[in-house]
Amino acid sequence: MTIENISLFQAMNAKMNYLAQRQKVISQNVANADTPGYMSQDLAKADFSRMVANVNHNKMHVTLEASNPLHQLPPDQSPTPREFKNTKPYEVEPGGNSVNLEEQMVKASDVQMNYTLMLNLYRDAADMIRTSLGKKA
Amino acid sequence: MSDLFATMKISGAGMRVNTERINVIAQNAANADTAPQKAGDLPYTRKTIQFKNVLDKETKQKLVAVDKISDDNKTEYKKKYMPGHPAADENGFVQMPNVSTIVEMMDMKEASKSYEANMGIYTQTRDMASKTIDLLR
Repeated sequence: MTIENISLFQAMNAKMNYLAQRQKVISQNVANADTPGYMSQDLAKADFSRMVANVNHNKMHVTLEASNPLHQLPPDQSPTPREFKNTKPYEVEPGGNSVNLEEQMVKASDVQMNYTLMLNLYRDAADMIRTSLGKKA
Repeated sequence: MSDLFATMKISGAGMRVNTERINVIAQNAANADTAPQKAGDLPYTRKTIQFKNVLDKETKQKLVAVDKISDDNKTEYKKKYMPGHPAADENGFVQMPNVSTIVEMMDMKEASKSYEANMGIYTQTRDMASKTIDLLR
């Protein structure tokens, strides 16, 4: 049993990946704040409730091992968010650029807050496991 | 984690193009009084810079890059009455560059704000990455 098989950790991992991906999209917007014709983008909201539902029911899935790249794996439960063009930006410049730095900064700080939250939760959950193993946290 | 490192690369590209932009602005401001050598010649022409969003094949990320640095042919040259100047025409006027120092100063402010925005995203992402690495402790 590795830590990745616990669905709580799986869910936190998925959320952290999602946040890192969103941070990348935001950084692209900020870098292109003066590129003519660039429309700002964002990542669609992802729903992680299905992954966390597994935590409550405490389902332990038994899956087949994939020993060959042609083997089909069971569907991944982590949602795959898609990038989309922001259709309702704060404003559009005459050059056709819709990046608003304030809007991006608000989004970036939102990402950072959520990421820190995930990190702290991750650390606490890992500490709990360490304590149950009889080691000092 | 790879998304976070990609983010740092994207913000780095954003900072680089803004340095380039500040370079062009400095060149314009420095040449604001560069008169032609003789009558009939054109004085220094203001340069403008444009950005574009390109796919970096090495990292497979969309990075911002300098599209082109071109002459500003739309703004009229200024005329200054200096009959003693070697480049003066028969009425005593010299064609002076189409550079407005005030416009250049405003552009410079905007460029440095864009640079700071990219720097902000970079610092934030670096913090996120280093806190993730701290989970090892």
